[in-house]
Amino acid sequence: MIGKAEWFQRRKYLGWGLYPKTWQGWVYIAVFILIAIIIQILPFTTNTKLISTIILIAILLIDVIHIMLTLKKDEREIKHEAIADRNALWILLAVLIVGILYQSVTSSLKGVVPEVDYFLIAALIAAVIMKAFTNMYLDKRD
Amino acid sequence: MQNHIEKFRKKLHLTQEELATKCGVSRQTIISLEQGNYNPSLDLAFALKNALKVKKIEDLFQV
Repeated sequence: MIGKAEWFQRRKYLGWGLYPKTWQGWVYIAVFILIAIIIQILPFTTNTKLISTIILIAILLIDVIHIMLTLKKDEREIKHEAIADRNALWILLAVLIVGILYQSVTSSLKGVVPEVDYFLIAALIAAVIMKAFTNMYLDKRD
Repeated sequence: MQNHIEKFRKKLHLTQEELATKCGVSRQTIISLEQGNYNPSLDLAFALKNALKVKKIEDLFQV
């Protein structure tokens, strides 16, 4: 792959993902941005620019996922990340549930059939499924 | 749990970074251990014992 795990550290305070730890990490980001700009500047057709940008983003995504999977974390960092992600999930679930209830109540008060954004419900269901599968996997493994 | 990681580390003239590298953890973890803010797993406790050349693990950690 292109980027190396030792160039990055995991993002802790501003969302998820990576943050450059070394100058090589910053160069890595700058190169991708430069390529994206060059694609837009060059006299390609709109379709070519779109396809090229999608390919670039796909390469970047695959590389970033690879870096995140190979990023070494010690036991303390794993524990901290687990607790932080759990807390983030709980607040996310709370906001999702409040959102679904709000949409149901406000649409009901308008005298219509309760309307809820199906993506919110799908997100909740997906989270429940992921938790179930993860626990099944962990119970089998340990 | 109390530990004497810092004492044994300084005896061997190791920096926190060097000890962290020997044990396969981050420097921040060594700092947390030395400050008594984090208790290591059994694996890490034995890794520290070996890295600090301590004979018995009880010499390094005390409840």
